[in-house]
Amino acid sequence: MILSRIRNFSIVAHIDHGKSTLADRLLALTGTMDAKKAVDQVLDSMDLERERGITIKAHTVRLLYRARDGHEYTLNLIDTPGHVDFSYEVSRALAACEGAILIIDAAQGIEAQTLANFYLARDANLTILPVINKIDLPAADVEGTREAITTTLDLDGSEALAISAKHGTGVPEVLEAIVTRIPPPVGDPDAPLKALVFDSFYDSYQGVVVYVRLTDGHVRPGMRILLMSNGRADDVQQVGVFSPDMRPVEELSAGQVGYIIAGIKRVADAKVGETITEAARPTAASFPGYRDAKPMVFAGLYPIEDTDYEALRDALEKLRLNDPAFTYEPETSLALGYGFRCGFLGTLHMEIVQERLEREFDLSLIVTAPSVRYRILTTAGEVLDIENPSKLPTPDRIAEMKEPYVASSVFVPTEFMTAIYKLAQDKRGEHKALEYHGTRVHIRFDFPLAEIVVDFYDKLKSISKGYASFDYEFADFRASDLVKLDILLNGEPVDALSVIVHRDKAYEKGKVLVEKLRAVIPRQLFEVAIQAAIGSRVIARETVKAMGKNVTAKCYGGDITRKRKLLERQKEGKRRMKQVGRVEVPQEAFLSVLKS
Amino acid sequence: MGGLPEERGGSVLADNPPAADTLGFYIHVPFCAQRCHYCSFNTAPLDASAMTRYLAALGRELELLGALPWAPRVRIETVFFGGGTPSLLDPAALAEILARLRRRFPVAPGAEITVESNPESVTREKLHAYRAAGVNRLSLGVQSLDDAILRRLGRLHDGRGARRAFEAARDAGVDNVSVDLMYGLPALDLEGWSHTVDAVLDWQPDHLSAYGLTLDAGSLWGAAGVAGLPREETVVAQYWRLARSAAERGFEHYEISNYARPGFRSRHNQIYWRAAEYLAAGPGACGFVGRVRYANVRATPRYADTLEEGRLPLDTFEELTPRQRLAERLILGLRTADGVPAAWLDARLLCSGGREPGSNRGSPARGAAWLRDAAPLRRTVDAWRGERLLTDAGDRVRLTEAGFLLSDALFVELL
Repeated sequence: MILSRIRNFSIVAHIDHGKSTLADRLLALTGTMDAKKAVDQVLDSMDLERERGITIKAHTVRLLYRARDGHEYTLNLIDTPGHVDFSYEVSRALAACEGAILIIDAAQGIEAQTLANFYLARDANLTILPVINKIDLPAADVEGTREAITTTLDLDGSEALAISAKHGTGVPEVLEAIVTRIPPPVGDPDAPLKALVFDSFYDSYQGVVVYVRLTDGHVRPGMRILLMSNGRADDVQQVGVFSPDMRPVEELSAGQVGYIIAGIKRVADAKVGETITEAARPTAASFPGYRDAKPMVFAGLYPIEDTDYEALRDALEKLRLNDPAFTYEPETSLALGYGFRCGFLGTLHMEIVQERLEREFDLSLIVTAPSVRYRILTTAGEVLDIENPSKLPTPDRIAEMKEPYVASSVFVPTEFMTAIYKLAQDKRGEHKALEYHGTRVHIRFDFPLAEIVVDFYDKLKSISKGYASFDYEFADFRASDLVKLDILLNGEPVDALSVIVHRDKAYEKGKVLVEKLRAVIPRQLFEVAIQAAIGSRVIARETVKAMGKNVTAKCYGGDITRKRKLLERQKEGKRRMKQVGRVEVPQEAFLSVLKS
Repeated sequence: MGGLPEERGGSVLADNPPAADTLGFYIHVPFCAQRCHYCSFNTAPLDASAMTRYLAALGRELELLGALPWAPRVRIETVFFGGGTPSLLDPAALAEILARLRRRFPVAPGAEITVESNPESVTREKLHAYRAAGVNRLSLGVQSLDDAILRRLGRLHDGRGARRAFEAARDAGVDNVSVDLMYGLPALDLEGWSHTVDAVLDWQPDHLSAYGLTLDAGSLWGAAGVAGLPREETVVAQYWRLARSAAERGFEHYEISNYARPGFRSRHNQIYWRAAEYLAAGPGACGFVGRVRYANVRATPRYADTLEEGRLPLDTFEELTPRQRLAERLILGLRTADGVPAAWLDARLLCSGGREPGSNRGSPARGAAWLRDAAPLRRTVDAWRGERLLTDAGDRVRLTEAGFLLSDALFVELL
C-alpha cells in the first residue's frame, strides 16, 4: 500500500459537540457500515459508554474512501475518549495520528475541552482541521464561531468547514479535507519494523489485542516480534484492521493502523508507548515513552462479603488488563476487612470501574469516599504520600501537610460570572486570570484537587444552567491547614469513613456527614450513635433509634402466599449491607461521605 | 404462579394428593353488612339473592372437592368459617354446609369447628343452633371496647354489644370462645388499650387474638390514609401490656398475635403455622395440598359462574420449590412459641442461601454464590441470638416475645 493513500486522524471535541455523530456519518458515507444497519454511535461499544453517552476507551476504524481525485484512500479513524478524566487516553490516541478534526458546536462555541483537546493535538504536532458542527440549529452562529477559532485557537477560522453531522450536510467535504489537508504518514515499508502501541485490550479467547501504528516496515503472521522495553519476543498469530469489527489481513505495513495478536497474556506486557519491532531485524531506536497516566483520585474497594476478596482481586486483575490507567494494591481496613486501594484518573473513571466490577463480575462492593494524594512532611523529616485518610500520621508527627492543586479553565457566559466566583470561593479556588471572548469569559482558577473531585462539576453545571465548561490539569502540591475527620459508630471509629478536610470546613462537614449517615443507616436491633470527631473531640452526633417493631400481625385466612410475596418484595428492595462491628451499614453510606 | 383459564382446576388438585392424611378445611363467607375501614379481605355487601347463589355454588364446590380421587382417604381435623362475616349465615345454611362436608369427607369426630362472628350478628338462639350443627368454637370480632374507636373502625357494634355477644356464646354452651382485639389503632392510647385488655380478660375467654393495625392495600385506610395513628413507642407498649396481662391470667403467648389458656390453642391456625395442609372453599379462599398453594377466584359472581359450569373455581396456583417450602416452614413456624426444629434453620444456613438458579443477575459460573450469601444470614441469626430475640429450646429454636415484635426483619432474611 502506498503511504500517500493513507490518512490517520482523530476526532476531538468538547462533550456533546457531535463527535460520535460525525464518526457515524463517516462510517456510513464510506460504506464501512450500512447507514440503515448502523447501531447508533457504533464506536461507543461498551454498554456503559452508550448509557453515559461518552467514549471511555479508544476505538479504531478503517474507512475506505474514493476521493475526488479518483484514488481510493485508507482513512484510519482513531476515536478518542471524551471526558476530562481520560485526557491521558486522548494523548495516546493522538500520537498515532497525523491530523485531528476539532469539532466545535456552532451554538455553544469554544468550550473548555475544545481548548484542552486543541492543545493536546497541537502538542502532538497534528494538522488540525476545525469543523463547525450543528449549523442546522436555530442558535447556530457560524460566523461568530469562525471568529472565535481565529482569535482563541490561532487557526484560520475562514477555512473551518461548516457542517451538520446530524443531517449529513457538509460531511462529504470533511472526507475530502481529510485527504487533501491532513498529510499522509511518512515511513519506510522496507525498513525494520517499528510500531507504536497506542492501546490494547484483553480478549479472553485470543489474549491481548494490541493496537498499533506502524511507522516503518511491515508485520505479518508468523513473524517473531520483539517488545523493545521488556525484551519479550512473541510470534505473531494474526494481524488485522478494524472495519469496524476486527478483520484479519495478510499484512500491516508502514503508516497503517491495526492490531496484532501475538499470544501476549497481559496488557502490562505490551504497555502503551511500547515499541514493537522484528526480533530478527530490530529497529535502531524505539519511540520516546508516552506521557504516563497518573491516578489522581484514590478510593478503597472492599467486597461486601469477605469471601469475595479473591473474586475481587481476580476481577481487578482482569479489568486492569484492559485499563492500565487504574492502579490497585491490597490494603486492610479495621472496619471493612481486606480490600484494595485503587487509583483512578478521576471520579468518573472510578464510577466506571466500580460499575464494571459489579456488572461484569457480579460483585457487590463498598467504595469508600475518594481521596486525593496528600504529601506529608513528618517531624522526623520524612516525606509521605498519603492516599488513605486513615493512614495519616497523628498530628504530633506531622510537620506540614500539602495537598495537590490543579490549574483549571472555566468557560462561561458572562451572566454566570458572579455565581462561578462564589462557587470557586466555596471550593477554596484561587483566581488567576480572566479573559473576555465576546459574551463569554475564560476564567482560570487554581483549586485544591480535593475540592473538585466530587461534586464540583455537577454544581458548576447547575449554577450555570449547563453553560459552563471546565477542564483542569495537575499543577503542584501546596501547604494547607488540613485535619482528619473521623466517624464513629457506637463509639468505634470507622476508618473507611475518615476524610481529610480543610480545618475551616471541618465542623460543617462533620455535621453534614452524620446527618447523611443517619438518613442512610437503617434502624437496627439496637440504637446506633453516629459521631464525627477531630482527634478525641466529638464535633457532631446523630442517633439511629433501635427498631421498635417490624411484624405482620396476621396471615390472612391462610393466604400464606400473600405474606411470602410481601416479604419477597421487601427483600428485593433491601440494600446490601456491610457489617461494621455490630452495625449493618449499607453500601451507599460510604459514598454518602462523598456527596456532601 | 399459574393462572387457570381452562379446565385445569380439578386436575391440579387431583394430581397433587396431600402428603398427610389429615387436613384442615377453610370456608370463606364473602359477605359483610358493612366493610370495616381497615379491612382488605374478600367481602361484599350482603344481599339475599347473592347469598343464595353463593350457598348453591359452595355446595357444588364441596361436591367437586369431595369427588377428588384422594378425598375419601383424608380426614378433616378442623373446619374454619372465615370471612367476611360468617355469622351472617343462617343456622340452617351453616348446618347444610357442614352436613354436605361430612357426606363428602371423613370429618374427625373431635374436629374443631370455628365460626368467625361479629357481635351484632349473633344471638344466644343463633349460637345455640350453630352449636347444634356442630360448631364448637367461636371467634368473636370485638376489636375494642371503646365506642368512639369502634365507630371509627366502621364496626357495627359497641362495647356493651360485644359483652352481650360473649355472654350469649357462653349461654349457648360454647365452651371455646376466642376474642379478637386490635391495637395500634387511631386515637388508641395505652390507657384505653389497658382498659379494653383488662375488661376482656375479666370475661375469661379461652383464647385471645390481638392484631396490630396494618394499613393494607385494598382497605379504605390503606388507600386514603388515616389520621391519629399512635407513635411506634405506644404501639410497642400496647403489645407488651397485653403480653404481660395475658401471662398473669395464665394465657400462653403461643403465636405472635395469639394467646390461649392451656388446651385452647387454635388447632386450625396451627395448621397454617406448621405449614401443614388444608383445603379451601369459597371465593378467594386459599388452600395448600401436596406442594401446591392455590387460591380461588375472588369475585363471588365469577366464583359462582365457574361452579355453575361444573368446574372448580381455582384462580391461581403455585407449586412450591423445596427452597420455598423450607422458607415457609421457617417463617411460619417461628411465628409460634414452639418455634422450629434447629435442624431446619441449620439447613437454611448451610445449603440454601443465595439466589435460586435462574434468578436475576450473575454469571452461571459463580457456583459458590450460595456460600457467599449464607454468611450474612448466619451473622443475622447470631445477632438475634445475642439480643435474646431468638433462643434455643432443646433441639428447637424459637423467637422470644421481643423477637416476635421484630420478626419480619428476620423473616425477610430467611426467604
